[in-house]
Amino acid sequence: MKLELGFIEIKDVQFSNECAVKDGILYVNPDQVKEFVYENDDVRQYLKSINFDIAKPGESVRITPVKDVIEPRVKVEGPGGVFPGVISKVDTVGSGRTHVLRGCAVVTAGKIVGFQEGIIDMTGPGADYTPFSKTLNVVMIVEPVEGTKQHDYERAVRFAGLRAATFLGELGRNVTPDEVKTFETYGIKEGLEKLPGLPRVGYLHMLQTQGLLHDTYVYGVDAKKIVATLLNPTETMDGAILSGNCVSACDKNTTYHHLNNPVVAELFEEHGKSINYVCNIITNENVYLADKQRSSDWAAKLAKLLDLDAVIVSEEGFGNPDADLIMNCVKNEKQGIKTVLITDEYAGQDGKSQSLADVSPLATAVVTGGNANMVINLPPMDKVIGTLDYVDIIAGGHAGSLQPDGSIDAELQIITGATNEMGFNRLSAR
Amino acid sequence: MKPGHNYRIVTNNPLVRDILGQWYEIDYSDITYREVLVKVRDLIYAGHTLFTHPLSGSVKPNETPYKSILVSKVPGTYDMDGTELMSNAIIAFDKFKQLERHYADYHLRDFQLIDYSLLCSALDVDAVAGLSKRNPS
Repeated sequence: MKLELGFIEIKDVQFSNECAVKDGILYVNPDQVKEFVYENDDVRQYLKSINFDIAKPGESVRITPVKDVIEPRVKVEGPGGVFPGVISKVDTVGSGRTHVLRGCAVVTAGKIVGFQEGIIDMTGPGADYTPFSKTLNVVMIVEPVEGTKQHDYERAVRFAGLRAATFLGELGRNVTPDEVKTFETYGIKEGLEKLPGLPRVGYLHMLQTQGLLHDTYVYGVDAKKIVATLLNPTETMDGAILSGNCVSACDKNTTYHHLNNPVVAELFEEHGKSINYVCNIITNENVYLADKQRSSDWAAKLAKLLDLDAVIVSEEGFGNPDADLIMNCVKNEKQGIKTVLITDEYAGQDGKSQSLADVSPLATAVVTGGNANMVINLPPMDKVIGTLDYVDIIAGGHAGSLQPDGSIDAELQIITGATNEMGFNRLSAR
Repeated sequence: MKPGHNYRIVTNNPLVRDILGQWYEIDYSDITYREVLVKVRDLIYAGHTLFTHPLSGSVKPNETPYKSILVSKVPGTYDMDGTELMSNAIIAFDKFKQLERHYADYHLRDFQLIDYSLLCSALDVDAVAGLSKRNPS
Protein backbone atom coordinates (compact mmCIF):
# COMPACT_ATOMS: atom_id res chain seq x y z
CA MET A 1 0.00 0.00 0.00
CA LYS A 2 1.32 3.40 -1.00
CA LEU A 3 0.47 6.82 0.42
CA GLU A 4 1.79 10.27 -0.48
CA LEU A 5 1.79 12.84 2.31
CA GLY A 6 1.85 16.44 1.12
CA PHE A 7 3.11 18.67 3.92
CA ILE A 8 1.85 22.25 3.96
CA GLU A 9 4.04 24.21 6.36
CA ILE A 10 1.92 26.40 8.62
CA LYS A 11 4.00 29.33 9.87
CA ASP A 12 1.27 31.26 11.67
CA VAL A 13 -2.33 30.96 12.81
CA GLN A 14 -4.61 34.00 13.01
CA PHE A 15 -8.26 34.63 13.77
CA SER A 16 -9.97 36.16 10.75
CA ASN A 17 -13.31 36.73 9.05
CA GLU A 18 -12.51 33.89 6.69
CA CYS A 19 -11.14 30.37 6.90
CA ALA A 20 -8.21 29.75 4.55
CA VAL A 21 -4.59 28.69 4.17
CA LYS A 22 -2.62 31.37 2.32
CA ASP A 23 1.16 31.70 2.10
CA GLY A 24 1.62 29.38 5.05
CA ILE A 25 -0.81 31.23 7.29
CA LEU A 26 -3.88 29.47 8.65
CA TYR A 27 -6.76 31.94 8.95
CA VAL A 28 -9.51 30.76 11.27
CA ASN A 29 -13.00 32.14 11.64
CA PRO A 30 -14.13 30.52 14.90
CA ASP A 31 -17.83 30.90 14.09
CA GLN A 32 -17.48 28.93 10.86
CA VAL A 33 -15.55 26.17 12.60
CA LYS A 34 -18.10 26.09 15.39
CA GLU A 35 -20.99 25.83 12.92
CA PHE A 36 -19.39 22.75 11.34
CA VAL A 37 -18.53 21.22 14.72
CA TYR A 38 -22.12 21.59 15.95
CA GLU A 39 -23.46 19.65 12.94
CA ASN A 40 -23.25 16.54 15.11
CA ASP A 41 -25.93 15.17 17.40
CA ASP A 42 -23.62 14.44 20.34
CA VAL A 43 -21.96 17.83 20.18
CA ARG A 44 -25.35 19.58 20.01
CA GLN A 45 -26.80 17.56 22.85
CA TYR A 46 -23.93 17.64 25.30
CA LEU A 47 -21.76 20.71 24.65
CA LYS A 48 -23.07 23.97 26.04
CA SER A 49 -20.26 26.11 24.65
CA ILE A 50 -17.09 25.94 22.60
CA ASN A 51 -14.68 28.86 22.71
CA PHE A 52 -11.57 29.16 20.59
CA ASP A 53 -8.18 30.56 21.47
CA ILE A 54 -4.75 30.45 19.85
CA ALA A 55 -1.51 29.50 21.61
CA LYS A 56 1.82 29.94 19.86
CA PRO A 57 5.31 28.64 20.66
CA GLY A 58 7.19 30.93 23.02
CA GLU A 59 4.12 32.65 24.42
CA SER A 60 3.64 32.79 28.18
CA VAL A 61 0.56 30.55 28.00
CA ARG A 62 -0.55 27.47 29.95
CA ILE A 63 -3.28 25.24 28.47
CA THR A 64 -5.10 22.93 30.91
CA PRO A 65 -6.91 20.54 31.31
CA VAL A 66 -5.90 19.15 27.88
CA LYS A 67 -7.96 16.28 26.49
CA ASP A 68 -6.62 15.53 22.99
CA VAL A 69 -4.39 17.00 20.30
CA ILE A 70 -5.21 16.48 16.63
CA GLU A 71 -3.38 17.42 13.44
CA PRO A 72 -5.55 18.75 10.58
CA ARG A 73 -5.35 16.54 7.49
CA VAL A 74 -7.39 16.00 4.33
CA LYS A 75 -7.57 13.10 1.91
CA VAL A 76 -7.15 14.55 -1.60
CA GLU A 77 -6.76 11.38 -3.69
CA GLY A 78 -7.59 7.73 -3.20
CA PRO A 79 -10.27 5.85 -1.31
CA GLY A 80 -11.85 7.03 1.92
CA GLY A 81 -11.32 10.09 4.04
CA VAL A 82 -9.55 11.04 7.26
CA PHE A 83 -10.72 9.51 10.56
CA PRO A 84 -12.53 6.62 8.85
CA GLY A 85 -15.49 5.11 10.62
CA VAL A 86 -15.93 8.24 12.70
CA ILE A 87 -15.82 11.35 10.51
CA SER A 88 -15.51 9.75 7.07
CA LYS A 89 -17.13 6.55 5.83
CA VAL A 90 -15.44 3.35 6.87
CA ASP A 91 -13.51 2.75 3.58
CA THR A 92 -9.99 1.45 4.06
CA VAL A 93 -7.55 4.36 4.05
CA GLY A 94 -3.77 4.59 3.71
CA SER A 95 -3.40 4.92 -0.06
CA GLY A 96 -3.55 7.81 -2.50
CA ARG A 97 -2.62 11.24 -1.23
CA THR A 98 -3.24 13.15 1.98
CA HIS A 99 -2.42 16.77 2.76
CA VAL A 100 -1.13 17.71 6.21
CA LEU A 101 -1.21 21.15 7.83
CA ARG A 102 2.18 20.65 9.45
CA GLY A 103 3.12 22.80 12.41
CA CYS A 104 -0.37 23.38 13.73
CA ALA A 105 -2.76 21.38 15.90
CA VAL A 106 -6.24 21.41 17.35
CA VAL A 107 -6.14 21.07 21.15
CA THR A 108 -9.31 20.20 23.05
CA ALA A 109 -9.49 21.41 26.64
CA GLY A 110 -12.20 20.62 29.13
CA LYS A 111 -12.68 18.89 32.45
CA ILE A 112 -14.00 15.39 31.84
CA VAL A 113 -12.59 13.51 34.76
CA GLY A 114 -10.54 16.31 36.23
CA PHE A 115 -7.62 14.22 37.42
CA GLN A 116 -6.71 12.71 34.09
CA GLU A 117 -6.14 15.65 31.79
CA GLY A 118 -2.84 17.37 31.20
CA ILE A 119 -0.94 20.63 30.91
CA ILE A 120 0.77 22.22 27.92
CA ASP A 121 3.11 25.16 28.62
CA MET A 122 4.10 27.14 25.55
CA THR A 123 7.31 28.45 27.16
CA GLY A 124 9.55 27.80 30.17
CA PRO A 125 10.81 24.48 31.51
CA GLY A 126 7.47 22.71 30.98
CA ALA A 127 7.61 23.50 27.27
CA ASP A 128 10.74 21.37 26.89
CA TYR A 129 8.77 18.29 27.90
CA THR A 130 5.83 18.51 25.51
CA PRO A 131 5.93 18.45 21.71
CA PHE A 132 2.83 20.64 21.67
CA SER A 133 4.74 23.69 22.83
CA LYS A 134 6.25 23.68 19.33
CA THR A 135 2.96 23.61 17.42
CA LEU A 136 0.66 26.52 16.64
CA ASN A 137 -2.36 25.47 18.65
CA VAL A 138 -6.00 26.21 17.92
CA VAL A 139 -7.44 25.54 21.35
CA MET A 140 -11.09 24.60 21.90
CA ILE A 141 -12.33 25.26 25.42
CA VAL A 142 -15.37 23.07 25.80
CA GLU A 143 -18.10 23.24 28.44
CA PRO A 144 -20.77 20.56 28.90
CA VAL A 145 -24.48 21.01 29.31
CA GLU A 146 -25.27 20.76 33.02
CA GLY A 147 -25.82 17.18 34.16
CA THR A 148 -23.92 15.58 31.24
CA LYS A 149 -22.36 12.25 32.19
CA GLN A 150 -18.59 11.95 31.73
CA HIS A 151 -18.75 9.30 29.01
CA ASP A 152 -21.20 11.39 26.95
CA TYR A 153 -19.03 14.45 27.50
CA GLU A 154 -15.90 12.57 26.46
CA ARG A 155 -17.52 11.36 23.25
CA ALA A 156 -18.87 14.81 22.41
CA VAL A 157 -15.46 16.45 23.01
CA ARG A 158 -13.79 13.74 20.92
CA PHE A 159 -16.16 14.37 18.02
CA ALA A 160 -15.85 18.15 18.42
CA GLY A 161 -12.05 18.01 18.17
CA LEU A 162 -12.07 15.64 15.22
CA ARG A 163 -14.65 17.74 13.39
CA ALA A 164 -12.68 20.94 13.95
CA ALA A 165 -9.50 19.27 12.70
CA THR A 166 -11.37 17.92 9.68
CA PHE A 167 -12.75 21.37 8.88
CA LEU A 168 -9.31 23.00 9.12
CA GLY A 169 -7.66 20.13 7.22
CA GLU A 170 -10.09 20.66 4.35
CA LEU A 171 -8.60 24.16 3.89
CA GLY A 172 -5.43 22.47 2.63
CA ARG A 173 -7.12 20.47 -0.10
CA ASN A 174 -6.16 22.76 -2.98
CA VAL A 175 -2.93 24.14 -1.53
CA THR A 176 0.33 23.05 -3.16
CA PRO A 177 2.36 21.26 -0.48
CA ASP A 178 5.86 22.45 0.45
CA GLU A 179 7.07 18.87 0.57
CA VAL A 180 5.73 15.52 -0.62
CA LYS A 181 6.88 12.22 0.86
CA THR A 182 5.91 8.73 -0.28
CA PHE A 183 5.42 5.79 2.06
CA GLU A 184 4.99 2.26 0.73
CA THR A 185 5.00 -1.22 2.17
CA TYR A 186 4.73 -4.45 0.17
CA GLY A 187 2.75 -7.65 0.26
CA ILE A 188 4.61 -10.68 1.62
CA LYS A 189 5.77 -12.14 -1.72
CA GLU A 190 6.52 -8.75 -3.27
CA GLY A 191 8.50 -7.71 -0.21
CA LEU A 192 10.62 -10.86 -0.29
CA GLU A 193 11.39 -10.30 -3.98
CA LYS A 194 12.12 -6.58 -3.73
CA LEU A 195 14.06 -6.63 -0.49
CA PRO A 196 15.78 -10.01 -0.35
CA GLY A 197 17.96 -10.63 2.66
CA LEU A 198 16.72 -7.70 4.71
CA PRO A 199 15.36 -8.53 8.17
CA ARG A 200 11.59 -8.52 8.29
CA VAL A 201 10.44 -6.10 10.97
CA GLY A 202 6.95 -5.40 12.29
CA TYR A 203 5.55 -2.88 14.71
CA LEU A 204 3.47 -4.31 17.53
CA HIS A 205 1.36 -1.36 18.55
CA MET A 206 -0.42 -1.69 21.90
CA LEU A 207 -3.57 0.39 22.29
CA GLN A 208 -5.04 1.71 25.55
CA THR A 209 -8.30 -0.23 26.01
CA GLN A 210 -9.11 -0.69 29.66
CA GLY A 211 -12.72 0.44 29.67
CA LEU A 212 -14.99 3.44 29.56
CA LEU A 213 -12.89 6.63 29.31
CA HIS A 214 -9.82 4.42 28.72
CA ASP A 215 -10.47 3.53 25.09
CA THR A 216 -8.91 3.79 21.65
CA TYR A 217 -10.82 3.50 18.40
CA VAL A 218 -9.77 1.76 15.18
CA TYR A 219 -11.97 2.62 12.19
CA GLY A 220 -14.55 3.61 14.79
CA VAL A 221 -14.38 0.25 16.60
CA ASP A 222 -13.65 0.21 20.32
CA ALA A 223 -10.28 -1.59 20.30
CA LYS A 224 -10.94 -3.51 23.53
CA LYS A 225 -13.34 -5.61 21.48
CA ILE A 226 -10.83 -6.59 18.80
CA VAL A 227 -8.42 -9.49 18.63
CA ALA A 228 -4.91 -8.61 17.49
CA THR A 229 -4.98 -7.72 13.81
CA LEU A 230 -2.94 -6.17 11.00
CA LEU A 231 -2.78 -2.62 9.67
CA ASN A 232 -0.81 -1.15 6.84
CA PRO A 233 1.37 1.49 8.50
CA THR A 234 0.00 4.18 6.17
CA GLU A 235 -3.52 3.64 7.50
CA THR A 236 -2.43 5.28 10.75
CA MET A 237 -1.42 8.40 8.80
CA ASP A 238 -5.03 8.87 7.69
CA GLY A 239 -6.45 8.64 11.19
CA ALA A 240 -7.39 4.95 11.38
CA ILE A 241 -6.50 5.03 15.11
CA LEU A 242 -8.02 7.67 17.40
CA SER A 243 -7.50 8.47 21.05
CA GLY A 244 -10.67 8.31 23.13
CA ASN A 245 -9.23 8.14 26.59
CA CYS A 246 -8.76 10.17 29.73
CA VAL A 247 -5.55 8.65 31.04
CA SER A 248 -2.37 10.12 32.52
CA ALA A 249 -1.24 12.98 30.34
CA CYS A 250 2.43 12.10 30.13
CA ASP A 251 2.07 8.70 28.46
CA LYS A 252 -1.22 9.10 26.69
CA ASN A 253 -1.03 8.67 22.93
CA THR A 254 -3.05 11.56 21.57
CA THR A 255 -4.57 11.37 18.11
CA TYR A 256 -1.67 13.59 16.96
CA HIS A 257 0.76 10.90 18.13
CA HIS A 258 -1.17 8.21 16.24
CA LEU A 259 -1.11 10.31 13.05
CA ASN A 260 2.60 11.06 13.44
CA ASN A 261 3.70 7.80 15.04
CA PRO A 262 7.49 8.09 15.40
CA VAL A 263 7.96 4.30 15.33
CA VAL A 264 6.21 4.18 11.96
CA ALA A 265 8.28 7.14 10.75
CA GLU A 266 11.58 5.60 11.82
CA LEU A 267 10.76 2.17 10.41
CA PHE A 268 9.91 3.81 7.08
CA GLU A 269 13.26 5.66 7.20
CA GLU A 270 15.04 2.30 7.35
CA HIS A 271 12.62 0.46 5.04
CA GLY A 272 14.51 -0.84 2.02
CA LYS A 273 17.87 0.17 3.53
CA SER A 274 18.48 -1.93 6.62
CA ILE A 275 15.06 -3.58 7.11
CA ASN A 276 11.91 -4.71 5.35
CA TYR A 277 9.10 -2.96 7.25
CA VAL A 278 6.33 -5.51 6.82
CA CYS A 279 3.30 -4.13 8.70
CA ASN A 280 1.79 -3.05 11.98
CA ILE A 281 0.12 -5.49 14.36
CA ILE A 282 -2.35 -3.75 16.65
CA THR A 283 -3.35 -5.26 19.96
CA ASN A 284 -5.08 -4.14 23.15
CA GLU A 285 -4.49 -3.77 26.90
CA ASN A 286 -7.63 -5.17 28.50
CA VAL A 287 -8.03 -5.63 32.24
CA TYR A 288 -9.41 -9.18 32.10
CA LEU A 289 -6.44 -11.53 32.34
CA ALA A 290 -7.82 -14.06 29.83
CA ASP A 291 -8.13 -11.21 27.29
CA LYS A 292 -4.46 -10.41 27.83
CA GLN A 293 -3.48 -13.98 27.16
CA ARG A 294 -5.62 -14.20 24.02
CA SER A 295 -4.42 -10.89 22.59
CA SER A 296 -0.74 -11.55 23.22
CA ASP A 297 -1.09 -15.10 21.86
CA TRP A 298 -2.70 -13.75 18.71
CA ALA A 299 -0.17 -10.95 18.26
CA ALA A 300 2.67 -13.47 18.55
CA LYS A 301 0.87 -15.85 16.19
CA LEU A 302 0.54 -13.13 13.54
CA ALA A 303 4.20 -12.18 13.93
CA LYS A 304 5.21 -15.80 13.35
CA LEU A 305 2.80 -16.20 10.44
CA LEU A 306 4.44 -13.19 8.79
CA ASP A 307 7.90 -14.68 9.39
CA LEU A 308 9.03 -11.56 11.19
CA ASP A 309 12.60 -11.42 12.46
CA ALA A 310 11.92 -8.63 14.92
CA VAL A 311 9.14 -6.51 16.36
CA ILE A 312 9.19 -3.09 17.96
CA VAL A 313 6.61 -3.00 20.76
CA SER A 314 5.15 0.25 22.08
CA GLU A 315 2.95 0.55 25.16
CA GLU A 316 0.36 3.05 26.36
CA GLY A 317 -0.02 3.53 30.10
CA PHE A 318 1.40 2.01 33.27
CA GLY A 319 0.60 -0.94 35.53
CA ASN A 320 -1.96 -3.15 33.84
CA PRO A 321 -0.41 -2.55 30.36
CA ASP A 322 3.01 -3.55 31.72
CA ALA A 323 1.67 -7.10 31.94
CA ASP A 324 0.67 -7.01 28.24
CA LEU A 325 4.02 -5.49 27.33
CA ILE A 326 5.94 -8.31 28.99
CA MET A 327 3.63 -11.00 27.57
CA ASN A 328 4.18 -9.57 24.07
CA CYS A 329 7.91 -9.60 24.69
CA VAL A 330 8.16 -13.08 26.16
CA LYS A 331 5.92 -14.82 23.61
CA ASN A 332 7.79 -13.34 20.65
CA GLU A 333 11.25 -13.90 22.11
CA LYS A 334 10.40 -17.53 22.84
CA GLN A 335 9.56 -18.13 19.19
CA GLY A 336 12.81 -16.55 18.05
CA ILE A 337 11.51 -13.08 17.16
CA LYS A 338 13.66 -10.34 18.65
CA THR A 339 11.79 -7.60 20.50
CA VAL A 340 12.53 -4.02 21.38
CA LEU A 341 10.17 -2.51 23.97
CA ILE A 342 9.32 1.17 24.26
CA THR A 343 7.86 2.21 27.61
CA ASP A 344 8.24 4.85 30.28
CA GLU A 345 9.07 4.55 33.95
CA TYR A 346 7.35 5.09 37.26
CA ALA A 347 10.52 4.73 39.26
CA GLY A 348 9.56 6.92 42.21
CA GLN A 349 10.43 10.58 42.69
CA ASP A 350 14.07 9.66 43.35
CA GLY A 351 14.18 7.33 40.34
CA LYS A 352 15.43 4.42 42.45
CA SER A 353 12.43 2.07 42.42
CA GLN A 354 11.63 -0.64 39.91
CA SER A 355 10.32 1.10 36.81
CA LEU A 356 7.63 -1.29 35.60
CA ALA A 357 4.98 -3.37 37.34
CA ASP A 358 6.10 -6.48 35.47
CA VAL A 359 9.49 -7.73 34.30
CA SER A 360 11.17 -10.59 32.45
CA PRO A 361 14.79 -11.59 31.81
CA LEU A 362 13.83 -11.86 28.13
CA ALA A 363 13.20 -8.10 28.00
CA THR A 364 16.79 -7.30 27.06
CA ALA A 365 16.18 -4.32 24.77
CA VAL A 366 14.08 -1.59 26.37
CA VAL A 367 13.83 2.06 25.42
CA THR A 368 12.48 4.45 28.06
CA GLY A 369 10.54 7.66 27.56
CA GLY A 370 11.62 8.94 30.98
CA ASN A 371 10.58 8.79 34.64
CA ALA A 372 7.05 10.12 35.04
CA ASN A 373 7.51 10.51 38.82
CA MET A 374 10.27 13.09 38.43
CA VAL A 375 9.31 16.33 40.18
CA ILE A 376 9.31 19.56 38.19
CA ASN A 377 8.49 23.17 38.91
CA LEU A 378 6.48 25.08 36.35
CA PRO A 379 6.69 28.86 36.78
CA PRO A 380 3.53 30.95 36.43
CA MET A 381 2.38 31.96 32.96
CA ASP A 382 0.83 35.29 31.99
CA LYS A 383 -2.22 33.59 30.54
CA VAL A 384 -4.12 30.40 31.30
CA ILE A 385 -6.34 28.87 28.62
CA GLY A 386 -8.84 26.67 30.45
CA THR A 387 -8.71 26.47 34.24
CA LEU A 388 -6.22 25.68 37.00
CA ASP A 389 -8.98 24.25 39.22
CA TYR A 390 -7.78 20.69 38.83
CA VAL A 391 -4.03 21.02 39.24
CA ASP A 392 -4.00 19.77 42.84
CA ILE A 393 -5.75 16.51 41.97
CA ILE A 394 -4.60 15.92 38.40
CA ALA A 395 -2.41 12.82 37.94
CA GLY A 396 1.02 13.94 39.11
CA GLY A 397 -0.31 16.74 41.29
CA HIS A 398 -0.92 16.86 45.03
CA ALA A 399 -2.39 19.18 47.63
CA GLY A 400 -0.38 22.38 47.30
CA SER A 401 0.86 21.68 43.77
CA LEU A 402 -0.62 24.99 42.69
CA GLN A 403 1.27 27.78 44.44
CA PRO A 404 -0.31 31.16 45.25
CA ASP A 405 1.75 32.82 42.50
CA GLY A 406 0.40 30.39 39.87
CA SER A 407 3.50 28.21 39.71
CA ILE A 408 3.09 24.44 39.92
CA ASP A 409 5.14 21.79 41.74
CA ALA A 410 4.22 18.39 40.42
CA GLU A 411 5.41 15.16 38.89
CA LEU A 412 6.29 15.08 35.21
CA GLN A 413 3.20 12.99 34.48
CA ILE A 414 1.14 16.16 34.61
CA ILE A 415 2.51 17.31 31.21
CA THR A 416 0.86 16.13 28.01
CA GLY A 417 3.17 13.84 26.06
CA ALA A 418 6.15 14.20 28.45
CA THR A 419 7.09 10.51 28.63
CA ASN A 420 5.31 9.29 25.51
CA GLU A 421 5.80 5.57 25.01
CA MET A 422 6.07 5.78 21.24
CA GLY A 423 9.21 7.82 21.87
CA PHE A 424 7.66 11.06 20.65
CA ASN A 425 9.62 13.41 22.84
CA ARG A 426 13.04 14.83 23.47
CA LEU A 427 13.99 13.43 26.85
CA SER A 428 17.18 11.45 27.00
CA ALA A 429 19.60 10.22 29.64
CA ARG A 430 23.35 10.12 29.87
CA MET B 1 -22.45 -9.75 30.73
CA LYS B 2 -20.38 -12.56 32.20
CA PRO B 3 -22.44 -14.93 34.39
CA GLY B 4 -22.16 -14.25 38.10
CA HIS B 5 -21.81 -17.77 39.43
CA ASN B 6 -18.03 -17.92 39.32
CA TYR B 7 -17.05 -14.39 40.35
CA ARG B 8 -16.40 -12.49 43.53
CA ILE B 9 -15.66 -8.76 43.43
CA VAL B 10 -13.33 -7.53 46.15
CA THR B 11 -13.79 -3.77 46.44
CA ASN B 12 -13.77 -0.65 48.58
CA ASN B 13 -15.82 1.26 46.00
CA PRO B 14 -19.43 1.93 47.06
CA LEU B 15 -20.49 2.51 43.43
CA VAL B 16 -19.34 -0.99 42.49
CA ARG B 17 -21.18 -2.41 45.51
CA ASP B 18 -24.39 -0.57 44.70
CA ILE B 19 -24.55 -1.39 40.98
CA LEU B 20 -22.69 -4.64 40.38
CA GLY B 21 -23.94 -6.06 43.68
CA GLN B 22 -27.25 -6.63 41.91
CA TRP B 23 -25.67 -9.33 39.77
CA TYR B 24 -22.42 -10.38 41.42
CA GLU B 25 -21.13 -11.47 44.81
CA ILE B 26 -19.53 -8.44 46.41
CA ASP B 27 -16.87 -8.49 49.12
CA TYR B 28 -17.05 -4.82 50.13
CA SER B 29 -15.17 -3.21 53.00
CA ASP B 30 -14.38 0.38 53.81
CA ILE B 31 -10.61 -0.18 53.61
CA THR B 32 -7.67 1.41 51.81
CA TYR B 33 -6.45 0.67 48.29
CA ARG B 34 -3.47 -1.22 49.72
CA GLU B 35 -5.69 -3.22 52.05
CA VAL B 36 -7.73 -4.34 49.02
CA LEU B 37 -4.51 -5.56 47.35
CA VAL B 38 -3.47 -7.46 50.48
CA LYS B 39 -6.93 -8.97 50.89
CA VAL B 40 -6.89 -10.23 47.31
CA ARG B 41 -3.34 -11.52 47.65
CA ASP B 42 -4.43 -13.57 50.65
CA LEU B 43 -7.42 -14.93 48.71
CA ILE B 44 -5.07 -16.00 45.91
CA TYR B 45 -2.83 -17.67 48.53
CA ALA B 46 -5.96 -19.53 49.68
CA GLY B 47 -6.53 -20.89 46.19
CA HIS B 48 -8.83 -18.36 44.52
CA THR B 49 -8.07 -17.45 40.90
CA LEU B 50 -7.24 -13.86 39.92
CA PHE B 51 -9.27 -12.68 36.93
CA THR B 52 -8.40 -8.98 36.54
CA HIS B 53 -5.14 -7.09 36.69
CA PRO B 54 -4.70 -5.49 40.12
CA LEU B 55 -3.26 -2.29 38.63
CA SER B 56 -6.01 -1.74 36.09
CA GLY B 57 -6.57 1.82 34.99
CA SER B 58 -4.30 4.68 34.36
CA VAL B 59 -4.92 6.21 37.78
CA LYS B 60 -1.87 5.45 39.89
CA PRO B 61 -2.21 3.63 43.22
CA ASN B 62 -1.37 6.78 45.19
CA GLU B 63 -3.84 8.88 43.25
CA THR B 64 -7.15 7.14 43.88
CA PRO B 65 -8.71 5.70 47.03
CA TYR B 66 -10.64 2.99 45.14
CA LYS B 67 -9.79 -0.45 43.85
CA SER B 68 -11.94 -3.34 42.70
CA ILE B 69 -10.54 -6.74 41.73
CA LEU B 70 -12.27 -9.80 40.31
CA VAL B 71 -11.44 -13.25 41.73
CA SER B 72 -13.07 -16.67 41.60
CA LYS B 73 -15.91 -17.25 44.02
CA VAL B 74 -14.50 -20.53 45.28
CA PRO B 75 -10.89 -21.68 45.76
CA GLY B 76 -9.50 -24.11 43.19
CA THR B 77 -6.06 -24.82 41.79
CA TYR B 78 -3.29 -22.60 43.16
CA ASP B 79 -2.90 -19.56 40.85
CA MET B 80 0.86 -19.06 40.53
CA ASP B 81 0.62 -16.25 37.96
CA GLY B 82 -1.98 -14.48 40.08
CA THR B 83 0.27 -14.67 43.12
CA GLU B 84 3.11 -13.03 41.20
CA LEU B 85 0.84 -10.30 39.83
CA MET B 86 -0.46 -9.49 43.33
CA SER B 87 3.05 -9.42 44.82
CA ASN B 88 4.25 -7.12 42.06
CA ALA B 89 1.21 -4.88 42.52
CA ILE B 90 1.92 -4.45 46.24
CA ILE B 91 5.59 -3.71 45.51
CA ALA B 92 4.46 -1.17 42.89
CA PHE B 93 2.03 0.41 45.36
CA ASP B 94 4.67 0.78 48.05
CA LYS B 95 7.12 2.56 45.77
CA PHE B 96 4.70 5.41 45.09
CA LYS B 97 5.04 8.32 47.42
CA GLN B 98 1.84 8.78 49.38
CA LEU B 99 0.89 12.27 48.26
CA GLU B 100 -1.29 14.48 50.35
CA ARG B 101 -4.46 15.01 48.38
CA HIS B 102 -7.72 16.64 49.33
CA TYR B 103 -10.74 15.36 47.50
CA ALA B 104 -14.09 17.01 47.08
CA ASP B 105 -17.14 14.77 46.80
CA TYR B 106 -17.24 15.17 43.02
CA HIS B 107 -13.59 14.06 42.78
CA LEU B 108 -14.44 10.92 44.76
CA ARG B 109 -17.40 10.25 42.48
CA ASP B 110 -15.09 10.53 39.43
CA PHE B 111 -12.63 8.08 40.99
CA GLN B 112 -15.46 5.69 41.82
CA LEU B 113 -16.77 5.93 38.27
CA ILE B 114 -13.37 5.12 36.73
CA ASP B 115 -12.82 2.10 38.96
CA TYR B 116 -16.38 0.92 38.28
CA SER B 117 -16.08 1.31 34.51
CA LEU B 118 -12.78 -0.62 34.42
CA LEU B 119 -14.41 -3.54 36.21
CA CYS B 120 -17.42 -3.36 33.88
CA SER B 121 -15.14 -3.78 30.89
CA ALA B 122 -13.78 -6.99 32.46
CA LEU B 123 -17.27 -8.32 33.17
CA ASP B 124 -18.71 -7.30 29.77
CA VAL B 125 -21.22 -5.17 31.65
CA ASP B 126 -22.59 -2.09 29.90
CA ALA B 127 -21.21 0.49 32.34
CA VAL B 128 -23.52 3.24 31.10
CA ALA B 129 -26.66 1.14 31.37
CA GLY B 130 -25.54 0.01 34.83
CA LEU B 131 -25.36 3.60 36.07
CA SER B 132 -29.05 4.06 35.37
CA LYS B 133 -29.82 0.99 37.50
CA ARG B 134 -28.00 2.12 40.58
CA ASN B 135 -29.29 0.49 43.71
CA PRO B 136 -29.44 3.31 46.29
CA SER B 137 -28.84 0.98 49.26
